[in-house]
Amino acid sequence: MFEKAWAGFTRGNWSETIDTRDFIQKNYKPYLDDEDFLTGASENTLALWQQVSDLIQDEIKNKTITVDTTKFSGIDNFEAGYIDKDKELIVGLQTDAPMKRIMNPYGGMRMVENSLKAYDIEAPQIMFDDFNEFRKTHNQGCFDAYTKEMRRARSASLVTGLPDAYGRGRIIGDYRRIALYGIDYLKEIKIKDKENLVGPATEDMIRLREELTEQIRAFDSIKAMAAKYGYDIGRPAENAQEAIQWLYFGYLAAIKENNGAAMSLGRNTTFIDIYIERDLQNGALTEEQAQELIDQLVIKLRLVRHLRTPEYDELFAGDPTWVTESIGGMGEDGRTLVTKTAYRFLHTLDNMDTSPEPNLTVLWSEDLPIAWKDYCAKMSLKTGSIQYENDDLMRSIYGDDYAIACCVSAMRVGKDMQFFGARANIAKALLYAINGGVDEVRKEKDGSPYKVMDNIEPISTEYLNYEDVLNNYKKVMDSLAELYVNTMNTIHYMHDKYAYEAGQMALHDSEVHRYMAFGIAGLSVAADSLSALKYAKVKALRDENGLVVDFEVEGDFPKYGNDDDRADDLAVGITEYFSNALKKHETYRNSEHTLSILTITSNVVYGKKTGSTPCGRKKGEPFAPGANPMHGRDSSGALASLNSVAKLPYECVCQDGISNTFSIIPTTLGKTEYERTDNLRNIMDGYFKKDAFHINVNALEKETLLDAMEHPEKYPNLTIRVSGYAVRFIQLDREHQLDVINRTFHEKL
Amino acid sequence: MQKQGTVGFIHSIETFGLLDGPGVRTIFFLQGCPLRCAYCHNPDTQDVKKTNPYTPQEILETVNKYKSYHGSDGGVTFSGGDPLLQGKFLAETVQLLKKNGINVVVDTSGFGDKRYYKDIFPYVDTLLLDVKAFDKESFKKLVAGNFDTFIDLINSLPDYGFNGQIWIRHVMVPGLSDNEESMRKLIKTVEPIMPYIERIEILPYHTMGIAKYEELNRPYLLENVPPMDKNKAKDFEIYANRIYAERVQELRSEQKERDKVQNSANDIVYSDKEKYRDIIFNDESLFENVSPEIKDEIFDKLIISNVERGDFIFQSSDRALNMYVILDGEAKIYYNTLEGKEQIYYIYKKGDFIGGHNLLSGEDYLYNAQAISKVTVLSISKEIFDKYMLDNPKVLRKILAKSFERIRHAENLVLRLSTTNTSLKVAALLLKLIERQNLEYEDNIELNLSLTREELGNYSGLTRETVTRKLSEFKELGYIDIIGNKTIVIKDMEMLKNYSM
Repeated sequence: MFEKAWAGFTRGNWSETIDTRDFIQKNYKPYLDDEDFLTGASENTLALWQQVSDLIQDEIKNKTITVDTTKFSGIDNFEAGYIDKDKELIVGLQTDAPMKRIMNPYGGMRMVENSLKAYDIEAPQIMFDDFNEFRKTHNQGCFDAYTKEMRRARSASLVTGLPDAYGRGRIIGDYRRIALYGIDYLKEIKIKDKENLVGPATEDMIRLREELTEQIRAFDSIKAMAAKYGYDIGRPAENAQEAIQWLYFGYLAAIKENNGAAMSLGRNTTFIDIYIERDLQNGALTEEQAQELIDQLVIKLRLVRHLRTPEYDELFAGDPTWVTESIGGMGEDGRTLVTKTAYRFLHTLDNMDTSPEPNLTVLWSEDLPIAWKDYCAKMSLKTGSIQYENDDLMRSIYGDDYAIACCVSAMRVGKDMQFFGARANIAKALLYAINGGVDEVRKEKDGSPYKVMDNIEPISTEYLNYEDVLNNYKKVMDSLAELYVNTMNTIHYMHDKYAYEAGQMALHDSEVHRYMAFGIAGLSVAADSLSALKYAKVKALRDENGLVVDFEVEGDFPKYGNDDDRADDLAVGITEYFSNALKKHETYRNSEHTLSILTITSNVVYGKKTGSTPCGRKKGEPFAPGANPMHGRDSSGALASLNSVAKLPYECVCQDGISNTFSIIPTTLGKTEYERTDNLRNIMDGYFKKDAFHINVNALEKETLLDAMEHPEKYPNLTIRVSGYAVRFIQLDREHQLDVINRTFHEKL
Repeated sequence: MQKQGTVGFIHSIETFGLLDGPGVRTIFFLQGCPLRCAYCHNPDTQDVKKTNPYTPQEILETVNKYKSYHGSDGGVTFSGGDPLLQGKFLAETVQLLKKNGINVVVDTSGFGDKRYYKDIFPYVDTLLLDVKAFDKESFKKLVAGNFDTFIDLINSLPDYGFNGQIWIRHVMVPGLSDNEESMRKLIKTVEPIMPYIERIEILPYHTMGIAKYEELNRPYLLENVPPMDKNKAKDFEIYANRIYAERVQELRSEQKERDKVQNSANDIVYSDKEKYRDIIFNDESLFENVSPEIKDEIFDKLIISNVERGDFIFQSSDRALNMYVILDGEAKIYYNTLEGKEQIYYIYKKGDFIGGHNLLSGEDYLYNAQAISKVTVLSISKEIFDKYMLDNPKVLRKILAKSFERIRHAENLVLRLSTTNTSLKVAALLLKLIERQNLEYEDNIELNLSLTREELGNYSGLTRETVTRKLSEFKELGYIDIIGNKTIVIKDMEMLKNYSM
């Protein structure tokens, strides 16, 4: 069986045991040249994409969705579905029809019910009644175990976006394993792993045994699901088409079983390239056919949908699924992991319109081949659909077979997983330091002050003293950290219990390393506010309850985003302090604490729920996204702004990622396309050389965005990158559209 | 706190400059400009306000923070105001930056503190030279400056030690210079610095600066003038570049003619050492006012030798120990360009001096002198030169005349053009590739590049970015088209030839 599948491959540790990385290292062919070999899309691809594109546009235009209301989620619960069977080289849909969404109640029933209600879709009541009678959801579990403090912090939006109402996501199965080994072998190994679990039946041991059994069952389901499409994935893949199909089945199982916010794909191009190269070598495949396989895989990835409420879509601006594919990077031995398939993957943007999904993430290293850097820069300028992350930083921590989940979260494929933890509002926390733990916006039902934290003395002076506020801020951060860790422990305990991702975890080693990923929002607001307190005079304005609701700033102060250490050090200080505070508290399953500075698009919603801040930002105004400086305050040019962000420490501090969105008017990047490409490449090289972590690149004319607001029909595919992912601009609501337009566009002269 | 040493007053810093000089640049806008351009869009930089002082060291520290973005051809741009006005500060700063390997661009209208020019210009890689107008009157009217001062700078740039590239810029105001006549005047104005010119940009006048005048409570002189149409300005830019290239071609032809005339004028024939005695000590002699005994002594020490065809009289980087006079035969003086190409500057014939200039300056030879027929050559050692010739005004005059003539015309033009001017280098590169691929020199031929852009750069001794920039500039000017990464279509062979043949 393996003889045929592995013919021509160089053997190694991977042929003795599961070791995808070793297979890649021993067999891949780095590609150093440029994109001239690429070919266009096949007729079938174009026809399929047209159908899919029409479906997507119809959904957006009509604001309707379709849902399979006959059954709940599960790996093998749905019949085979096709777009146009005869034209499809890579098959498999979440349900029996494209864009038809799944009802997944395991994370929480309310998300399902509210979504159906919002779209006026009826489902048999008995299904819900039965489910509620016999099963409990993750959401119910969380609320059964939440404390009063947790609920209040949640209600006041001190911590929001917590994964307690639907799937947590951010887990990446090593889908390549199915292609390389086939399900049967993987299952066999898993059974052995379970048999080797000897020792006392502690809670940990019992849980692990139960989980491995779930995983073993999931293998059967995945195999059965593929069989409905006529494929036996019990055996390993024997050619490129099968390799792509097999790994896609693995991913498909994940998105049938789970509805996590981010369901990322991993790092597959180098792996796939090995199969394509073998087929090209022995004449079984042409370049056109190779491209067709990749194009068709990408069509499938663009079809991924989950059932969400309109409020969810508002928070995340559109309908993102974070099908993140990590591309390129360097190997530990110094060879680049860029292959022709890396090019083929980005080339889908040319062959089939630009698109927000999959979330194309280029792993940038100083040592990448220059032709590849140029191609990426060129495609960024053309499509605005690519994000970049620092491979040199990550490789030293995770090695060379990690991938990005969601936007910026790195993990070794098949070896690490993370407990996703949304984010805490660190700007609001600063207001708590001033108001003694009382929320500045939310009120009790009777209108009285809403207290979230005890043991914080409010500041009572008219002019605020920096030291006083800072001392209180530290206390608030300490309390917040404790509350946050405890809340996360509760959530993930319940998620493992009620909504375990058996299919994805089956494609991990049986012993996994776990991260617990915390996050903060409002960093630039908090840093600028501290700077105002330190370098200017800030007068507090209080309401009738003595609550500080606004500020008057006298004099100027340095602002984060101008490469001025006085302000930037405050931002660094906040992250370091909060990261340390989190690490003082024990985590569920001994997971490793990490922290991200990433807001998704919730910077708008966070802003809405946060009162005026000492930096001069008024109540309700949006925050800057991710780690970006506040709009209009980075006045020393774009590179000063990038330098400020680059100062935020990644390793051991913000090790779950630091997101920065960079928007520029294309013509300011240079007079011609070629100069723009060179300049953008130099900017990225320069930025990452400063140990910066991430950058989204948008190159757009402001006028285009304004026109797209008025005439969305003219811009069906206009894609822009927001914090860590991409969206269709026309799918954003007006508030988010304006936020994007008002954000600092770097222009000159 | 008072800062020690020289300080400069900085109006503002732009960390992300992409248009003012090649590549990604950190731009320092210096306070102060002696001109009062009617269209100035930064009137707030005109006065030398003594605010925001920076020492050269602080400039360097700031630049270092952005060095990683600069790539291979980006760097620092000093703009203004006119940065030449704070001459002492600029001189110290550019020298410090060069010492630290930073590429320096100065953006000037040519009005500053002359005392420091010789300490500034040798350190400038690219000069952005704004040519405001082309005659005294309009210059006075438009920018309240003296045209002669500007012309003086243009004429003296080489004397100040400038050895970089120049981007000519001209702001085109509707009704003032939006005509072909003005473009011809522009090229005529910059003719003395022609070999240095790498790019000519016509910037359309815009009205975005008006608001600042209101803020400053100053009248705006071009109140009723509309902004310049961008496309029209582009057309004039293309036109200006064309007449520039044509003028380059003309100058080169003139130079070739001059060389011919000079060479035939020195037609003297001698046959053996003794026979040369008379001519060496004749009226036009190299050695005047020396007694007969000393003449004998000198004559003994002179070496007359025969150099076979293909042998070297001297080679580049040899130390200049002798001056040579060609007594018979022909030798070529050439240089190996970075791409390994032989670049011949002159063919020396009987009676020509070689190397006198090097003996005077003490510089090593930069070129090879190789016999292209059997050459009889007289070698005069440095010792004799210093002892008997250095004080001889006739000799010096002759050496100087020849040196200057050649340095000014040949070296400054042909040599410079073909060795450092990137427009010409890239045009030559394209023509060479056409030749290698045995293509006809016709329009619309397709040139397939087997080399990557990086290799092209190495091949022509330019950075990858420079090749890219120049190719895309040629594309904008309509000389070529670029298809994908590997194909160039020649749209205007004539223009490429003007640049490089």
